Amino acid sequence: MKQLFKLRFLILILLFAGMSQVIISCSDEETGEDEYVGEDAFVLSLAYQGTDGNFTYYTVQFDDVMNGSLSAIGKGIDHLGYYTFNQVDNKIYATGGFELTDIIAMKKNTAGELEESGGVSSFSNSLNDVIKGEDGSLVAIEMSNSSDVVSLHRINPETVSVQDSKTTAVSNLTDLTGPSYSGMVQAGNYLFVSFYISDPATFATGYTDKAQLAVFTYPGLEFVKVIEDDRTGPIGGFGTSSGLIKDNSGNVYALSHSNPANGYSQFTKEAAILKINSGETTFDQSYLFDFNSVTGGKTTAHLVYLEGNKVFAEINMQDRSEQGAWSDSPLKPAILDLQAQTVKYIDDVPEHSGLGRKLAATSLYDNGYVYLVVPEDINSYVYRINTKDYSATKGAVVEANFTAGFFKL
Amino acid sequence: MPATVWAQQATASLNGVVMAPDGETLPGVNVVLKELNKGTTTNIEGEFELSAVPEGLYSLLISCIGFKSHEQAVQLKAGQTLKLSLLLKEESYLINDVVVSGKSATRRIIEQAYQVASVSTKELFNSTADAKAVMNRIPGVRIQEEGGLGSDFSFTLNGFSGDQVKFFMDGIPMDNFGAMKLGDMPVNMIERIDVYKGVVPVWLGTDALGGAVNIVTNRKEKYLDASYSFRSFNTHRASVNGAYTNNKTGFTVRGNLFYNYSDNNYKVWARIVENNTVVDTAWVRRFHDRYRSASVKLESGYINKPFADNLLVGVMLSTNDKQVQHGATMNTVYGGIMRNSKSLVPTMKYNKKNLLTDGLDVSLFSAFNLSESQVIDTLSGVRYNWLGEKTILTSGDGQPSTDGEFYRTFTTLDEQELSSQLNLSYAISTKSSLALNYAFNHFHRKAFDTEHPDDVDNRFPKSLRKQVLGLALKFDPDRRWSTTVFGKMYHIKAKTSKEFDFALETQRIEEVLNTQLNFGYGLASTWFVVPELQLKLSYEHTSRMPTPEEIFGDGLFVGANPDLGPEQSHNFNLGAEYRFKLNNTHQFALGGSFIYRDAKDLIYTVVTVSSPKTYYDNLSKTRVMGFEGNFIYRWHEIAHVGANVTFQDITDRAKLVYNESYTGTGWQQNFHYGFRLPNKPYLFANFNAGLNFADITCPGSSLSFNYYLNFVEQYFLTWAELGSGNSKYVIPRQVSHDVELSYSWKKGKYNISGECSNLFDAKLYDKYYLQKPGRAFSIKLRYTI
Repeated sequence: MKQLFKLRFLILILLFAGMSQVIISCSDEETGEDEYVGEDAFVLSLAYQGTDGNFTYYTVQFDDVMNGSLSAIGKGIDHLGYYTFNQVDNKIYATGGFELTDIIAMKKNTAGELEESGGVSSFSNSLNDVIKGEDGSLVAIEMSNSSDVVSLHRINPETVSVQDSKTTAVSNLTDLTGPSYSGMVQAGNYLFVSFYISDPATFATGYTDKAQLAVFTYPGLEFVKVIEDDRTGPIGGFGTSSGLIKDNSGNVYALSHSNPANGYSQFTKEAAILKINSGETTFDQSYLFDFNSVTGGKTTAHLVYLEGNKVFAEINMQDRSEQGAWSDSPLKPAILDLQAQTVKYIDDVPEHSGLGRKLAATSLYDNGYVYLVVPEDINSYVYRINTKDYSATKGAVVEANFTAGFFKL
Repeated sequence: MPATVWAQQATASLNGVVMAPDGETLPGVNVVLKELNKGTTTNIEGEFELSAVPEGLYSLLISCIGFKSHEQAVQLKAGQTLKLSLLLKEESYLINDVVVSGKSATRRIIEQAYQVASVSTKELFNSTADAKAVMNRIPGVRIQEEGGLGSDFSFTLNGFSGDQVKFFMDGIPMDNFGAMKLGDMPVNMIERIDVYKGVVPVWLGTDALGGAVNIVTNRKEKYLDASYSFRSFNTHRASVNGAYTNNKTGFTVRGNLFYNYSDNNYKVWARIVENNTVVDTAWVRRFHDRYRSASVKLESGYINKPFADNLLVGVMLSTNDKQVQHGATMNTVYGGIMRNSKSLVPTMKYNKKNLLTDGLDVSLFSAFNLSESQVIDTLSGVRYNWLGEKTILTSGDGQPSTDGEFYRTFTTLDEQELSSQLNLSYAISTKSSLALNYAFNHFHRKAFDTEHPDDVDNRFPKSLRKQVLGLALKFDPDRRWSTTVFGKMYHIKAKTSKEFDFALETQRIEEVLNTQLNFGYGLASTWFVVPELQLKLSYEHTSRMPTPEEIFGDGLFVGANPDLGPEQSHNFNLGAEYRFKLNNTHQFALGGSFIYRDAKDLIYTVVTVSSPKTYYDNLSKTRVMGFEGNFIYRWHEIAHVGANVTFQDITDRAKLVYNESYTGTGWQQNFHYGFRLPNKPYLFANFNAGLNFADITCPGSSLSFNYYLNFVEQYFLTWAELGSGNSKYVIPRQVSHDVELSYSWKKGKYNISGECSNLFDAKLYDKYYLQKPGRAFSIKLRYTI
């Protein structure tokens, strides 16, 4: 039972991190001698903003997220500075820090307590994202809109150290200034990186007429080409890292929204999802998820693959022309069907502000439920969303400024 | 000197006034008839009275900390009232927390009732200390340094820091003194440093939230003081200070000149990164931390003339340049980033007592500051590690990146500032006086980045005009009690640029004005319960207006916030000081004070999402409750020990916070309500002991030995209550020891001294594990006339 549960869990978390894979070798993930063998628990990375201006994150285990209150008082692994968290397999990777560019892994020790490892890699800039490669490596990217290079790294998840790195001139991707990272998936022999153009000084987005993706070889990390499509605008947006997702057949989906609420200073194309079929490196011209017809003009900057054709989204309930700049709100959770092209709103969850962060990390898909922390007035609560009947239950109050990671280990 | 007046009593009485050599009256001086063991203390005006004294011959002993005790015989006859005018000579004394006695008592609103620590630097003239080091030994004061000579530091007074504490040099604001920094100023140009805690006298004309520091430079009329010191890490410091005055014409010239140089190549424990991998952690020498600074300050004019007590015009020229070794932590290391600044400051000072009418004193200061500073990060694609090895970031096709080390920039800031202070005081009667202060400050900044010429933030020049008006009334109901009440008005007008309708087609940048008006008020009172025991109470409701940097940013790390408002605080001090002598050989001083600060709308640095760039906002409320204690013991002139301790509990009092991340989820519950603020020391102490032997080898020589201990209790970089207590975010308890030995001969004309700081080579940090220098040796040669 435990083994079955573990396998299912592994699949789920992989899907969750936006990097599902068709072939999972269960034996690769067999427990070693130092592995924890007890029940899994929820692990939340809670962020506290200090009055001195610095953030501190506390990664804390909780057995129950549906009752009581969740806080880091007296418990949790702390990280000072700005961090992002991603779960890959049985580890949570923390990247960033106060002037740190490290990658730290957290996992359960045999006693079931969280412990840290890593901190042996240091990059030129903070890593924008960490995903799982199909060969078991971690794939990480440094892509700053004020830099003229993009660096890709393959990282050994055991030692959390760099296996190999490749740097590509930004001029290969675009002649424009300010290509900004918005999403990454690895599928088959390729690594796809989406980007949009954002001025490094003003964050203005003056180029919104087409979707662009950079294609790299995998595991070689060599630049291949940029593919474009003018049926919709740029892929992804600021901070959300949700530009690209992959389904469990290896198809890649690219999301375009050009939302002012997510850092766009203009929008010139309809919001849509494009598709790259498994094994291909071109957009499928026969596929277009047209938000206008599905949602009546609503868009989303957040997309997490669940299973089958289902994806979890946080829909911005205002038309783009009415959205508050950089507000990432007001959001309403919904389940989209990429094939049937439908949207089902979760009416039990109130409209709320978003975090502008990667939804795949700040929500958890577990056993048919999506767990999400929703801010209401001055407090935030856990909501458990049933992805089958689209209902939701309100759970524990979260005593933190925001939740940077919602995981299960 | 004695003048006798006849009266009709059976016993005699004795009264008079005690003055310093410069003619200023001295309050708080003990006056004792030894044989009767009867005594009193001088009042605010330096006056004393002893009545009902039986006829006889007595020894009158006059003593005060900071001055040489004076003893003289007095013959009292029945019915006589003897009037005396007494002079006390100043005595070199060590770091004491003593009452300042500098201001003319009868003529001005004096700061006597304020909670003030005053440090004379005289005993330190042979030490290599600078203004910063001197202040770090004052209770309530903590200086958090980032490194060696020339490094950035934050000055904390009772938990307040940054621009919440205002600095003055001879009463002139140092806010934007451009290139002259506290750490540059050698002790030899300073006479004393006054630190006002929480409640700031009106005559300084400022909007400080937590207090003010006034550095008083040497005011002797004729002197020369030249020194040179050499210290570990290739550190050289030289200074020449002097003044010449023609007694007949009143013409005077005074000047200070100093030069500082250091490679700051001390060893630090750092991690070594090669090819994106941490390969080692090792002791390495800092390799890009050179600091150079030089300053000339010249003043000339007339003193003691009918039209002016002082009329001086002057100029200050300063320059410095600094290599930047790392950012706010040692995690990133730089090998090419530079900062430099230079400034030219013409000054004018005028003051006159009894102008036009008796009792009306006027003083006017003006300074115009022209400064230019640069931040340079122009290496292309270069990355350094702590071994000083550089790698070039290249793309797959071999092209080097043009990225800067932190952020490619060559920013030049041009700043101009005009500061003027007018002080008028009028003695209404012997028991009350009125003082008016008007301070005007205009600041203008223009920035240009050659690497980003289109940067919108630099498109508009930025300016700030600040005016402070203060009115104080001082009254002394009796000889033992003095009270000052005051009100202040602050007005600022800031001009900057702001972005409107971001993300919309109407997006545009326009100039915006920011005008703010605020009021403050307070009271300071002191009472001599018995001659040896003085109580002080002071309160101020104060505002601190935002500074140009807070509104406009610094062009590199700090962004702009044109909506920023003032910080406000209720500050309260209650202090007591007890001084006494035993057998004229043992001198004791014991003091303690309670401090309370209730501050709101505090301006804090806000970290914006996924960027090392920050900006300032009115975010929080804090409360400070603290205690400071100090003790001094002196045996003859030979030995002394002193100690002080500060405990300050600074807690977060905001129930709600605004989440300023770009997503703007609005108001939230503050999850650290009631918690002690991280990254601020809360318990620290200083101890010193010294021996001084006069005429040891030949007449006029002296040998002295001093020992200093500095203690800071461990403190947390993050909220101590959250998390499971990770030791990586704790600054451990720090203890450092400094010793110095100095020898002087020919009455102080020739001096040589040696010092060892951080004797036990302790790893010392103040901020985020930025390591300060280890054990260092220095030698200083000094010549005076």
